[in-house]
Amino acid sequence: MSTEIDFKSLWNKQPATDMPDTKEIFAKADKLKRKTRCTLIGLNLSLIATSIIVVYVGLNIDHVKLTTKIGMALMVIGMISYLVVYNQIIPIVFKTEVESNSHDYLNKLIRIKRKEDFINKVMINIYFTLLSAGLLLYMLQFAARMSTAWAAWYYILTFGWMAFAWFYLRPRGIRRKQKFLNEVIERLEQINGQLEAE
Amino acid sequence: MVFEEIYKTYWSKVFRICMGYVNDHDWAKDIAQETFVTIWQQLPKFRNESAIGTWIFRIASNNCLRQIERQNRMPRSEMPEQIEETIAHDIEPAVQFLYKCIAELPETDRLIISLELEDVKQVEIAKIVGLSETNTRVKIYRIKERLAKKFENYEH
Repeated sequence: MSTEIDFKSLWNKQPATDMPDTKEIFAKADKLKRKTRCTLIGLNLSLIATSIIVVYVGLNIDHVKLTTKIGMALMVIGMISYLVVYNQIIPIVFKTEVESNSHDYLNKLIRIKRKEDFINKVMINIYFTLLSAGLLLYMLQFAARMSTAWAAWYYILTFGWMAFAWFYLRPRGIRRKQKFLNEVIERLEQINGQLEAE
Repeated sequence: MVFEEIYKTYWSKVFRICMGYVNDHDWAKDIAQETFVTIWQQLPKFRNESAIGTWIFRIASNNCLRQIERQNRMPRSEMPEQIEETIAHDIEPAVQFLYKCIAELPETDRLIISLELEDVKQVEIAKIVGLSETNTRVKIYRIKERLAKKFENYEH
């Protein structure tokens, strides 16, 4: 039967791959940081810019109706609340304490993934509802100025797009993310079980 | 301890642990690199509460465990097989077999045996994975027994 010494000497015979230059490590750290920052800045900028445009256009038309104002508010609230939640979850995901022991680390990962799952389900629904309702109210005033034919087209297109987003894009986005998160959570729990089974 | 010094001392150890976990050269190199990225970022916060080795191996082990997210995104079957084969040619078959057997164990067992073979004290292994010392000792004994059995079949 093979002895312990055999295993250790075999283990140490595994040639370590060439040690990458420390510059490569620093570059990787930098890339990772930049990637996180870019994703955060990108989403923030695009949603803030959209909010500003919505408010700017809304305020620059003559005789702003109440429906337009409410629609504007709903859309901005939707976008800002999405940003607030998103900006909170991202740092948690990237700053998990890697120095805790594996058992604690796995528990923390599971907690984070559950939180992500919850936000994924709840936040996307809130965001879509506020945005769709807001857009509908916001555009009422513009549609009222159009000819009947144009207004009809406008409503068909807007409702069509909203139905597509609500019945197809929204559930698909939620399902996809949820499937991935559920699989990860399940695997993490399974591994954690290995440490609890004894 | 300066980062460069840690890097030189621990690179091959960390790489072997990652290799025991995934048994794939490129992937193990990636995890090892990620580990040193974290070490570099966290080093100023290191308080000497534990030995530097324990601290490093903890980060490495947790980085290995985190690979689940990656595994789900990129199933193993999608990886090109040819590349792996060319690397494997230069390594002694028994060494390859040992790493293959280890990578087939349950995830935490892979870490425990890799740390043991890396000569980490059992008390430290217990602290790294979060098990009691007794449990760790029992687990190591059982894993070695399993490996020995596999090697017995391999040799005959």
